[in-house]
Formats: sequence, structure tokens, C-alpha cells
Amino acid sequence: MPSAVQETTVDEQTTQPAEPRPTSRTLRYLTLAVTALLLLGVGWTAATLATGRTPGEESAEAGFARDMSRHHAQAVEMAMVAYAKGQDPAIRQLGYDIALTQQAQIGHMQRWLQEWELLPTGSRPAMSWMPDGVGVDENGLMPGMATREEITRLHEAQGVEVDRLFIELMIKHHIGGVHMADGVLKASDRPEVVRLAQAMKQAQQKEINELRKLQQGAG
Amino acid sequence: MSISTPGGPQRRPTVVSTGKKPAAGRPAADAKAATDKPATPKRAGGGGKGPRKPIAPVKVSQGRSWGPIALFVAVGVLATSIIGFGAWATVQGGQSWQDKASKIDGIVNFRETDPESVSNQEHRSGKIEYAQSPPVGGPHNNTWQRCLGDVYDAPIASEHALHSLEHGAVWLTYRPDLPEADVAKLSEVIRGNDFMFMSPYEGLDAAVSIQAWGYQLKVDDAGDPRIKEFATVLAQNASMEPGVPCSSGNYTTGTGTEPREMQPSMGG
Repeated sequence: MPSAVQETTVDEQTTQPAEPRPTSRTLRYLTLAVTALLLLGVGWTAATLATGRTPGEESAEAGFARDMSRHHAQAVEMAMVAYAKGQDPAIRQLGYDIALTQQAQIGHMQRWLQEWELLPTGSRPAMSWMPDGVGVDENGLMPGMATREEITRLHEAQGVEVDRLFIELMIKHHIGGVHMADGVLKASDRPEVVRLAQAMKQAQQKEINELRKLQQGAG
Repeated sequence: MSISTPGGPQRRPTVVSTGKKPAAGRPAADAKAATDKPATPKRAGGGGKGPRKPIAPVKVSQGRSWGPIALFVAVGVLATSIIGFGAWATVQGGQSWQDKASKIDGIVNFRETDPESVSNQEHRSGKIEYAQSPPVGGPHNNTWQRCLGDVYDAPIASEHALHSLEHGAVWLTYRPDLPEADVAKLSEVIRGNDFMFMSPYEGLDAAVSIQAWGYQLKVDDAGDPRIKEFATVLAQNASMEPGVPCSSGNYTTGTGTEPREMQPSMGG
């Protein structure tokens, strides 16, 4: 018995140097290829998770997109009143400009939320994404926003009072808007967000100056 | 895995060394095997010199196969987890608002059950009769009710409210005799949120009814978490005219449930 076992082993031994070599070479190539693929896969996944990730539910970008949409919506309402009832043609022109610009920007921001697969309405309180921690006031209003009563007063105003009230409310509104744009610029480096926030900041600062000139002219 | 060196007469003494350096392996392999040889004469010599030590080579070749097995298991586990994560992320992220809406217990989807009545979006003056109460679709007044998180404390005209639903708003209605504390709870869901508004509603067959265009949920507890879920999932998403605003429109409760006709400063 032991000798038989030995014989079989010997037979295997004699064939081994000839046969396993090509097989093991293939195996080695295969292993190299699989290892390379695996490393690529791991690297790609890690890179995707680290950089390609879209802003999440609680991100500053999502908070900005949602809150600035709401902030803009009120500006659109005020600007449409100015466009419809302003006495000074410059006020009507500015109303048209602000309403259309900000309504379009709402569309941009809502599109981001869709692309990031987030709902238009957030689960966190307004302004909680702001780096400086400035929240909403006692009426739940974001910086610069007018109260319902102020908006109603603007709707009901007549004559030059429309211009006067619009200038006052819109300067305040824009200051709050610039503040929020600054907030997201501090917190985010996503190109589409930075680009729009910078554009908002510039345009609204320019319009604040314009409104102040109109205010002096009217006063 | 590399059991022998290519072209060399000696087999590799260990599996581990080649597994660790797959890239550098080829040119270095022969030299390495050669230098290894004197260091491990028993194992390497056993295979190379043939029948003299028959048992040792058998053990070596069995031991060698663990390397590839371990590697393939590791590859398999990692690949499975990567694919698994990808699939999970896709399923989670890819859930549409319609999927989320359909998971709200008790929601009625009139877009499916009554597509005809919710497909009518025409503008009409005066009072209009609706199939549902409160209405979730059909003809409506050309002025919408402002829906920038407005909390109306008196009944409003359905003809205006329905126009807001068409714009993507969620309208929360409650029985006028609801306790003040419950109304406060409801207003916490709505106040300040664009594309949402609320008002009391006469003749409601539940304590609270929340509706979007084509969707409705009726509940008897003002603290029911499904109210907020409905509002969050459907606001804007249920719009029949994506991109249309909730600003302006009718912002008062002045005419009660009677629709008022459009005025120049109301937008429209």
C-alpha cells in the first residue's frame, strides 16, 4: 500500500514540470488583471463618493436653493406690483427686471434640487444652513423679507406711495438677499452655486444703489 | 497563482511573494527564484529534483492554491459590495415623487381613479361644481390664491384654491370647529413654506383634508405625520405647469367662498 501511494505521487511529480507551467502563467496574468481591475474599481468608487457626490438634504447648497427660492418669490410679487402700478417709468422698468430675473433664478435653483434628487421643501428650519447662524425672525421671515402686512400695504398703495414703499421694501429685501448669497459663498464651492450666488450678489448690490438714487430723487 | 517561474527550471518556493508584487513580478521573478533557491533548498529542491522526496511537493502544491482562493474571495466580496452599494444608491435616489406619494398610507390618487375630471384645466368665472370636496382638479377661476405658505383664517373660494393646486401648491383644509391647538399644529406645517397654503373648509367629512392636483389625503388627527409627508412630497412636484409661481394672486379671504374676478393689480 505505501509503495502504491508513493508511485502515484511519483507519477504526478514527473508530469508536473511540463504541465502546470502554462496554466499557472495564465493564472498569474488573470490574477494581475483582476487585481488591477479591482484597484481601479475601488479607486473609482472612492473618488465618486468623495468628490462626485451631489449636495445632500442638509447641505448649505440645498438650504440656499430652497430658502433663496422663497426669498425670491416674495421679491417677484413686490416687483410685479411695481411693474404694474409704479409711477416713475424707472420703477416700472426695475420691477420688470427684478421680477423676470428672480423668477428665472428660482427655476435654476429648483432645477438643482431636481438634479440632486432632493425635494423642493426641506426638512430643516429655514436659514439653518447659514454659516453665521442668522436665522428667521419672530415672524418666521428670512433676512430682509417683508411682513404680510407690508406686502398688503404695497398691493393697496396708490400713486407715488407705490414707488416710495417699493423702494423701501426692496432695498431691505436685497440687503437680506446679498447676506444670504454671502452665506452660501462662504459654505460652498460648487461651481453652479457659486456662479449664481455671485451673480445675485452683484446684481442686487447694483440695484440697491439704483434704488437709493431713485429714493433720493423721489424724496 | 504563480506556481513556477516562466522558463526557469525552478518552481517558486512561496506563493506570498508573487502575490504581493504583481506588477514587478515578471522581470524579477527569475532572479528572485534563483536567489531564493539556496535559502530554501528543501522545498524548492523537492519539486525540482523529482522523485527523491515525493511527499513534500504534494504539500507545497496544495498550500499554493490558497493564495488565489483568498484573492478571488476578496475580489468577490469587494465587487459584490461595490455593486450592492451602487444598486442601493440607485434604488434610493431614483425614487420619484410619485413613488413616494404612493407610499403614503391612505392617499387617493385621482389622476388614476378619475383621470377625466382632473384633466380639465380650463378657466371659468363664477361658482363651479366639483366631483370632489375639497376639489382636486377641474376648471377654475383665472385668479389663483396666493400660496407662499399663507395661513388663511377664514374660508376661501375653491375656484381660486384649485388654480393654486394647478400651479403645484398643496392646500391644507380643516373643519372650522377644529380646536385652536390643532389649527396651530397644522399651521406649523404650512406657514412660510412656498407652494403651501391652508384654510378652514365648511362641510369637510374629516377633521383634516390635504390636497394637491389629483391627490388627496383625509385624516382625523391634526398631529398625523402623514400631513407633513404629503405636503413635503407633493408641493411643487404635483404641478401641472412646472415653473409657475405661487406669488401674487388673490391674497385675502375677503369674498369668502365666492370667487372674485380678476383685478389689474392681482397679476393673473
